[in-house]
Amino acid sequence: MRSTRRECGEPVAEPLLQVRQLTAGFGAGPVLFEVDLDFYAGELVALIGANGAGKSTLLGVLSGLLPASSGSVHFAGRDLTNARPERVVAAGLAHVPQGRRLFAGLSVERNLRLGAYVRRDREIGADLDKVLDYFPALKDKLQRSAGTLSGGEQQMVAIGRGLMARPKLLMIDEPSLGLAPKVVDRVIEVAQTINRDGTSILLVEQDVLVALEAADRGYVLENGRVALSGTATELESNPEIRKAYLGI
Amino acid sequence: MTLLVQQLVLGLLIGGVYVAVAIGFSLVWGVLNIVNLAHGGLVIIGAYLTWLLFSAFNVDPFLSIPIVAAALFVIGYVVQRLLINRVIRAPIFFTLLLTFGVNLVIINVLLLLFKSDFRSVTPSYSGSGLSLGGVQLPYIRVAGLAVALLLAGAVALFLARSRIGGAIQAVGADRDAAQLVGVDLRHVYALTFGIGAACAGVAGGLISTAQAITPSAGEPYTLQAFVVVILGGLGRVSATVVGGLLFGVVETLAQTMVPGLGAGWANAIAFAILVVVLAVRPRGLMGRPV
Repeated sequence: MRSTRRECGEPVAEPLLQVRQLTAGFGAGPVLFEVDLDFYAGELVALIGANGAGKSTLLGVLSGLLPASSGSVHFAGRDLTNARPERVVAAGLAHVPQGRRLFAGLSVERNLRLGAYVRRDREIGADLDKVLDYFPALKDKLQRSAGTLSGGEQQMVAIGRGLMARPKLLMIDEPSLGLAPKVVDRVIEVAQTINRDGTSILLVEQDVLVALEAADRGYVLENGRVALSGTATELESNPEIRKAYLGI
Repeated sequence: MTLLVQQLVLGLLIGGVYVAVAIGFSLVWGVLNIVNLAHGGLVIIGAYLTWLLFSAFNVDPFLSIPIVAAALFVIGYVVQRLLINRVIRAPIFFTLLLTFGVNLVIINVLLLLFKSDFRSVTPSYSGSGLSLGGVQLPYIRVAGLAVALLLAGAVALFLARSRIGGAIQAVGADRDAAQLVGVDLRHVYALTFGIGAACAGVAGGLISTAQAITPSAGEPYTLQAFVVVILGGLGRVSATVVGGLLFGVVETLAQTMVPGLGAGWANAIAFAILVVVLAVRPRGLMGRPV
């Protein structure tokens, strides 16, 4: 059951990303169960949950790295269920993977330019300047090998590389991983600025407080299912969340 | 003294062939993580194509290099796209086995087409050369070194500057991350293998001018490419150049200057170098830390 019926003449408020009954997993059984998710243009949505809840798997399925066994993914009016990754990026859905995953031997500039690999337009240079405006610390490190940067700088390059695809929606997986709190704040701040400038952001975080403070809305993933969803304020004041994730 | 200089120069010139042989092998190994046992077979296809163009149409072997390279690129692209891509994510044993099989097929097809007779490409200038202060420089070998260095420069420039070259390096560094920026793995795998095969074709062209060829003459070149890559280090064209030239010099000096060793010892010398490098400096002279 891969196909869902496409309704014609839908109202204007169609979600940018619509995930329906998405189930995925490998070998030992599903990791994601019937996940439903709606994402509207312009939002900054947090996807939170414990380690192993299926957050990274969900992003992997959305970006085409991992197969979905059933359910559907629609993005910007296209059916991207089990689409190849290059089609997903080209459609405007970019994924900044957990652990940065930079091209270590290549220069920072090459890494950033590779982010625009699917593009053929002439504004790639201008977008590179834009990325450097978001992350001025990278300006004098463009020719450095990406593997030699600090963790925070590598995260900046990873986000910048995602931005270079000029996505409608940027999915950022665990940007805080292994970074000092000050650096995390800086990265999240930039993510909010990018969001205000018009790029929708799906922020995956284990650090629930950080994620909810930045986001408009949130989804809580537990054992591969959506356990809760709501506005960031609702979730922050939810007693279960406070107990389970905030330790309050 | 002149003898030593002569052998050193000859070793460098012969090393040019090893550079050409190893560039494609190194690229395929570094990017696709395939130790391509069919590399020697591809080299010999290049040699036979050069011989065919020379004997049937009298095309100069150095002029036919671009044609041979283009033909081998197509062969390599198709072999990777239709065959090797199917097992690319499997453990390295599978690609070893598959490329070993491809090599057998190549040898047997060449046997059917050309028999096992010795073929050679002998343009008018083969056998003649330059003499500089008592040191002999055969034209064929000098041109071979020049072509090998040009090839190395072209591949390095392509990888460093072009869009596809960036994609190839991205795939070599991190397959998943490359997919996330939109690289079509199947296509880039096939392109990389095609480029590797084209380099093998160029090497085959050079070899056809320097030695007689038979369908199985490529066998030693797979081993030599392997040793050159281990010696220089994986992942950089410049490392392959240094490894190839050094290998040529060491092999030539060992065969001519060490009493008791001769041409028959070529493989033994190659293996000895392999063992020494692996024991002393496993990442090679210029390789990145493992």
